[in-house]
Amino acid sequence: MAQDVKPTRSELIQLKKKIKLSESGHKLLKMKRDGLILEFFKILNEARNVRTELDAAYEKGVGKINLACAVNGVVSVRSTAFTAKQSPEIQLSGHNIMGVVVPKISSTGVRKPLYERGYGIIGTNSYIDETAEAYEDLVEKIITAAELETTMKRLLNEIEKTKRRVNALEFKVIPELISIMKYIRFTLEEMERENTFRLKRIKARAK
Amino acid sequence: MRLFARYGGDKPSKSDKKKKGTSNYAYAVTRVRAMKSKLLPRETYPRLLNMSIDEITRFIQESEYKNDVDELAMKYSGGDLAEHALNMNLALTYRKLLRITAGEPNYLVTAYLKRYDVWNVKTLLRGKLYNASVEEILESLVSGGELTYTLLSELAAMATYQEIIEALKESEYYPLLQEFDGTNLAYIENELDKMYYSGLFNAIGKPRSKDRKLFARFIKLEVDVKNLGTLFRLKKAGVEQLDEIMPLMIEGGLELKIEKLASLPFEQFVEDLRKTQYWDAISGVVGPDMDSLTAVESRLTRYYLESATTYSHVSPISIVPIMDYIIHKSNEANNLRIIFRGKEAGLDDTLIKDQLVVI
Repeated sequence: MAQDVKPTRSELIQLKKKIKLSESGHKLLKMKRDGLILEFFKILNEARNVRTELDAAYEKGVGKINLACAVNGVVSVRSTAFTAKQSPEIQLSGHNIMGVVVPKISSTGVRKPLYERGYGIIGTNSYIDETAEAYEDLVEKIITAAELETTMKRLLNEIEKTKRRVNALEFKVIPELISIMKYIRFTLEEMERENTFRLKRIKARAK
Repeated sequence: MRLFARYGGDKPSKSDKKKKGTSNYAYAVTRVRAMKSKLLPRETYPRLLNMSIDEITRFIQESEYKNDVDELAMKYSGGDLAEHALNMNLALTYRKLLRITAGEPNYLVTAYLKRYDVWNVKTLLRGKLYNASVEEILESLVSGGELTYTLLSELAAMATYQEIIEALKESEYYPLLQEFDGTNLAYIENELDKMYYSGLFNAIGKPRSKDRKLFARFIKLEVDVKNLGTLFRLKKAGVEQLDEIMPLMIEGGLELKIEKLASLPFEQFVEDLRKTQYWDAISGVVGPDMDSLTAVESRLTRYYLESATTYSHVSPISIVPIMDYIIHKSNEANNLRIIFRGKEAGLDDTLIKDQLVVI
């Protein structure tokens, strides 16, 4: 690479500017990486809690539906479930964490009051209510977990990308620029020395 | 298409049946006693609880349910096979009851078993409204009432709920079903249930004889238990308005003053329940910090079934032993299903035992 460079003073000035820019970029990217890692760990704890809650909600839901199926019969639970095929609405928007666009998921119609679930109250019982409630809770947890886990995934990707950039700057770009700068500086000094020597020889011949 | 006319058209009207005086209590009760002797004895349940799923399957296959299991074994397996066999057996048993009774007992049993018709009509509407497949709907039907499986299958095969309602034009449900507009399913379901009980009370009439009084008492007790369960559920869900609660109450209960109970806040509601016969059954599980109502409902059901069968020996040649058999048969199917499904789902034995009602 050094061979492609013209060892001129203007090139040296350009190079110095480039090195300065790369160093400040490197510093900024390092700060971004550290900030993203901090943010990631914050979300990681939250996601870990939500995952635990999700597992618990799933277990509870399965327990409730098993009990409802045992007491009312699968036939009855299935028939009641026909009334609950209206899917909840999910709204997706995004927000920015240090330049990373992460999703914000909000939902409506997941949790319904007893009398809006669609099935008749008189012909059902609390086994059905509690199953519906447990699954509403589970769907809510799934939505929260989806938001957090997607955020985590995107943050991880961005951290990886930033880390690669930081490393490229730190171990490749800046050292190369410095070595080019050293080469230009050395070449210029060499040229100066040659010049001085040449001048001295001319001066001596003239005498 | 007037499908309903096929099963209802050539039959005498209910009032005719009542007037005819062809009641065959002696014959029906004798048949019912023989049928009751084939029910599983009480001591079977603890044994079943100690069995594995395979052993229970084998037990069901070798019991009175053998034919039903054999018939359905091609289509289902595991828990589904057991449950469908139990339902099929129940439907056939009730159909047999309708066959062997005549006159007044037939009239009363028919009125009582209409709960299956109501259930099936609800399932058909639910299924059609939410685009369930015909297969799915058929699997959820139990033809224990007047509506035969063939008729129900034809109804299930119809394309829309409007067609089903039109096909039920001759039925007593038609005026109510006409109100169904596709958005008020919960209301229609509640009204169908209320209609069932008012129809049943109409069938019983003003009870004068001892057996009729017992039958009426049994239904009133069921109404009380249903209303109490609904009140608990509504109060837990934070529904306080009287005009929201009262339409969900069934009229004709035994003891509960529904309007008063409905208007009370939860603590006072519980306090008021202390004065009723139901308190002893639920006192152990009712409290201000209760987060599940299943224990309350299971205890109320147990209380109702135990109370209902207490007087079964009174009036030996009457509707009472027939009703007693219906309760025992339905309870047997319930218990077997609870044990099988519970075991299959890996539920705790204590939890399964809590749901069983051994009468």
